[in-house]
This record gives sequence, structure tokens and C-alpha cells, in this order.
Amino acid sequence: MKHQVLIKMLTAAIALVLSANCGHTVVTTPEVHAIAADRITLDPDDAIWENAPTHIAKLIPQDLVEPRQMEPTTAEVRVKAIMKDGQIAFRMEWSDDSQNDAPGPRKPVDAAAVQLPAVIQANAPAPQMGEQGMTVEIAYWRADWQASVNGRPDGIQALHPNASVDHHPYEAKPLENNEEARRRAELRYAPAKALGNVRSGPREAAFEDLIAEGPGTLTPAPARHTSGIGKWSDTGWVVVFVRPIPNGFSATRPTQVAFAVWEGTHGEAGSRKMRTGWINLLAK
Amino acid sequence: MARVNNWQLGREMSYWYPEARPQKQFAAVFDTNKCIACQTCTLACKTTWTSGKGQEYMLWNNVETKPYGFYPLAWDLNLLDMLGGQNWDESGELPVYTGSTIFESAPAGERVLGWRPAEEDYAYANVGEDDCAGQVDGGTSLENSHDMAWFYYMARICNHCTYPACLASCPRGSIYKRPEDGIVLVDQGRCRGYQECVRGCPYKKVFYNAMTGTSEKCIACFPKMELGIQPQCFVNCIGKIRMAGYLNTPENAREDNPLDYLIHIKKVALPLFPQFGLEPNVYYIPPVHVPTSFTGQMFGPGVAKAIETYRSAATDADLAGLLGLFGSSERVMTRWRRIGETITGLDDDGNVLVSVPLREPVHIRPAFDPVQQVTRMNCT
Ligand code: SF4
Ligand code: SF4
Repeated sequence: MKHQVLIKMLTAAIALVLSANCGHTVVTTPEVHAIAADRITLDPDDAIWENAPTHIAKLIPQDLVEPRQMEPTTAEVRVKAIMKDGQIAFRMEWSDDSQNDAPGPRKPVDAAAVQLPAVIQANAPAPQMGEQGMTVEIAYWRADWQASVNGRPDGIQALHPNASVDHHPYEAKPLENNEEARRRAELRYAPAKALGNVRSGPREAAFEDLIAEGPGTLTPAPARHTSGIGKWSDTGWVVVFVRPIPNGFSATRPTQVAFAVWEGTHGEAGSRKMRTGWINLLAK
Repeated sequence: MARVNNWQLGREMSYWYPEARPQKQFAAVFDTNKCIACQTCTLACKTTWTSGKGQEYMLWNNVETKPYGFYPLAWDLNLLDMLGGQNWDESGELPVYTGSTIFESAPAGERVLGWRPAEEDYAYANVGEDDCAGQVDGGTSLENSHDMAWFYYMARICNHCTYPACLASCPRGSIYKRPEDGIVLVDQGRCRGYQECVRGCPYKKVFYNAMTGTSEKCIACFPKMELGIQPQCFVNCIGKIRMAGYLNTPENAREDNPLDYLIHIKKVALPLFPQFGLEPNVYYIPPVHVPTSFTGQMFGPGVAKAIETYRSAATDADLAGLLGLFGSSERVMTRWRRIGETITGLDDDGNVLVSVPLREPVHIRPAFDPVQQVTRMNCT
């Protein structure tokens, strides 16, 4: 308890205190402050987030590699962070007037990412996806994956209720009682899945862990360690990312963090995105 | 951007990567005059490769009726509109494209000039494109409302371009052109479904699969081509309009390579929208009955000459004979020869794959069959 009071005092010393519409005061900080919390949560609506100050991260268009983001779209993301028992949780909240969670041709989906240097060092890697020999770790969340995790079935009818499909060969009668043969037949028409490139439903998590050493080098991380929940409301998205605390991160050893947002309505995917530069991440 | 040679344009052009031609280049000739729009090719492809979840709307092979048929909607018109009017200089021996390609017209921040079709643009393949344009009341005769007494069928697959826009568009390098045969593939392990290739390909022959979350495209039935067998849409073609093989560059053209002969020597088969700058590798014998003001835009400045050459086949035993090899074998015929009235397709080692006569023999059957004691109609 004492600890938390101290945190609040410290925070207040450098914070800008704003009055929010709901009557609560919003404490903002110029860096991302990861607050030591009683517990960690996956839920964006958990009351525990009220204890954490907000960092308002301004987003700028990705303008380093083609295709570039030529027009600014999402202006900012409001970030909070908490820590507990080796886990760090980031809560990203941004305004979005349309929920894009149904993928299709010319229908990119809403998405967000949190990026951290793989190794804490004085010289941070290049903020846009790292650089050769200086890896960044990226936790990536996607709205259609969230819909899949929330229970949306995996099939064209889930996206287009009136779609009629004549026949999928792997649903043929002779395969009905042989699940293994049916699965093999299905994978024959889904080469990405057969290769283990799980880019769509059904999914266990709405998140993916990646590493990169520069633009165009994004690769799946050896293991998935990020979990969380993304929630949509009329005002936009709130997504909680929970992942291990960066190795060596402490009150005396800060690191950096960067954020990115993709807005489906504006056709954003891949390098067409709004992003931040590095922002200091402090353990509080 | 690198400078590369595009022989279809008669000049160098800018491309995202340096010139790296494959050891040999998969290519094909389609004779539009023979296509009957039976869609057997479309079905052959569909059942072989795109019967999976998320592939329902995909036609790696499609056949559309020009001028009003499109798949996806307005795939060609949209880009022509974006590119604007462009010109060829036809004063020299070979035409030179003086206009701008989709690589050279790329807007700031983009890799190519492109656009992305919407879902509904794929939804109505072939619907309405062969219908008459107005209501015909009982007792009245059909008047041609659009003043054009022509149409033709365009069978389309991926062109396995020498300078693929799909490949150039991918910021991840997930698309590659095989050095051994020039076939262009999306690495399904690497693709992250950004749909940049869908936007970039002017022929709209890459498709996003919402169920795998990756983009997919025609693979030129490479497992078959590796065995020396032509792709599914070729061997199943009812109209025998297609021939698959490998194409050399014009300076290395060989008379005994069927595709070199038709494309480089006879110049009877032409690329589809060469002005886009991709050096596409499916070549079309243009429809002979369509005004060249239309086909010239689609197949480039060689159209009138190609039609003239094609019309001369009746008196050109080599050309007629080679066209007779189309659809005569499922094997890839990389060599051919004509000896007298016999045309032979061979493989690289000189093995005979098939021989066909220059003219099919005509059999006239008497109407009355004395064995069965019946009279039959002869229909040919
Ligand atoms: S036709 Fe389109 S998909 Fe095929 S190689 Fe060319 S650019 Fe790529
Ligand atoms: S199978 Fe041959 S004839 Fe039939 S539509 Fe296809 S290309 Fe045309």
C-alpha cells in the first residue's frame, strides 16, 4: 500500500493532470510507466487499470519503406502498463469509428502491436522494426483473430451468412467417419495452414509473437508468450497485451517501447500503418 | 528501382529489382479464335486447386466475354483509366513504347500503380456478360443496341510475368519467381496476407483467402510441369486453344521451339497489355473479327499483322501444322517439326510425343447402314 502511495506521489510530480469527461482525473506521463500491481489482468475493463497513469502516444505514418502510409489516420493511442510476477501488461486504447474484424479482399482488419528491444541496451535498435543484429520483439493483435477466439466459426458463412457453397471435397461422405483423412484432405486446399502459417481462424489466441531485424524481416518468435483480450466499444478498441517483463527491466534499468495501430477502414495492413517512435518505458 | 530490359516494350524500363531471367521461362499461347467459353478449364483448375475454405470465390483460371465481361469487375478498365492514354512509337522496325508502365507511374510512397478490387467485384463472374443489352418484346427482332456486332472469349490465368508486379509489391519478399522455370509463387509459409500483391497485379490474378489469411495464386500446375505434363486448364481444354511450354528471349528464339516460333518468329501471338510493363508470358492469338482499335489496346501494336499472319495459315503449312499440335498431347512439347504433311511434337531429348496430320482426313459415311438396316444423319 505504502508502495502505491509513493508511486502516486512520484507520478504526480511529473504528471500532467487532466480532467476527463467521466469525472475521473486522467493522470498522464511523458513516458510509459509500468506500475507494480497486486495482480495482472487480461481484461481491459478491470478496475486495476485505474491505478496506472496514461501515456498519450502520438502516432505518425510509417514513412520509411514502400508502400508507405501517406495519410495520417489514427492520431494517438492511450497507453497504460502494469507489472506483477515477471509479467507486464500493456493496455492500448484508441478511437476508431468502425469495427473491422471480418477479413476479405480489400477488407484489412483492425490490428495493433507492441514492440520492445529484445535486449535492453543504451543504444536502442532502429524504432521501425529494429535492424540487423539488433532484434526487436513484437506482440501483434488482430481483430479477426479476436472474433475467432470469441467464438466466430471458421467458414465463409460466418463472414457471409448468405453464401452458398456447392461442395468442399473434404466434406464428402466417404470421409465423414475418418477424421484424419478428412483433415488431410482439407489441408490439401489450405497450403498456408499445412505449413503451420496460422494467419486465420480457428485460433487459440488473438495474438502472435514475432521478432524482426528491420523492415520486411518479421518472423514468428520461437514460442508464443503474449496473451490478452481486445474489446470493441462504440468509441473504439481497447486491447490488453500481457507478456513477460523484458529481461533485466527494473526501476534502475529502463527500456523502450513502441506501438502501432492498423485501421482496417483505411486499408491499413503490413507497412501501411500508424506508429510511434521509441518511448521510454520505466518501472515504477 | 533498377533498369531492366523489357523486349515487349522495345526498351529498358524501371523495375523494383534488377533483371534476373530464369534458366527457362514458363509460357503459353492461347488462340482466342478457338475458345468456346465452355469453362472446362475453369472447372479443371477449380477442382484441382481451389476447392478449399476461403477459395470459394477464386478462379485462378477464368474465361470472360469481352468487351463486357470481367473477373473481377473492370479489372482492366480501372487500371487503363488510372494509367491514362499512352503511346507507342511505330516509326522504327520494332515498336517502342513511349508511355509509362505501372512501375514508372507508381505514385509517391507506392511500389506500383495499383488498386484493390472489392469483394463484390469478384461476386458475379460471367453473370450478364453474354446477355443482350435490352428487352426484346415478343414479335420484335433483336436490334443491336451497342452498335458492336462482335465479342470474344478471353481465357485468363496468371501470366507468370518476367517482371511480376505481385512480387514487386510484396514488402516482405514473400513472392518468388523460380529460377528453374520462371513460375511465380506465393510462399505460403511467409505470406502475412497484406494483399499488396492483390493490389499490384494488374491482371488481378492473386487472390486473398480469408480462411487461410494469405494470398494465393495460379501455380502453373508446377508439379505437372516438372514431369513434362501441361497444366490442368491446358490438357482439359475442349477447344484445344492452348499450348504450354518455355519461351526464349527474342534474340535466342529457336525455330523448333513451338512458342518461340509463334511468338518471336511468326509474331502471331501477343502479350496481354504489354504496356503495363510486366512482360507477361501468356500470349494470345488475337480474335480476327474484332476491330483492332479494341484489340490494339489489349495486345499492343502487333495486332493487325498477327491477324494477317493467322489468316494466312490456310496457305502456310508450318503455321497451320503447328496450330494443329495444340491440344494433341498432354505432354509439354518443347520441340516441333513438320515433314511433309506430318507435324510432330517432341521433348527436349528429341523423343516423339505426338504426330498429327496437317489436315485431318475426311470420312464420308453413307447415310444408309446396311448392317443395321438404318438410315443415319451425318453430323459433323
Ligand atoms: S499475372 Fe499477376 S499474379 Fe501472375 S505473375 Fe504477373 S503480376 Fe504476378
Ligand atoms: S476449356 Fe478451352 S475452349 Fe473451353 S473455355 Fe477454357 S479455354 Fe475456352
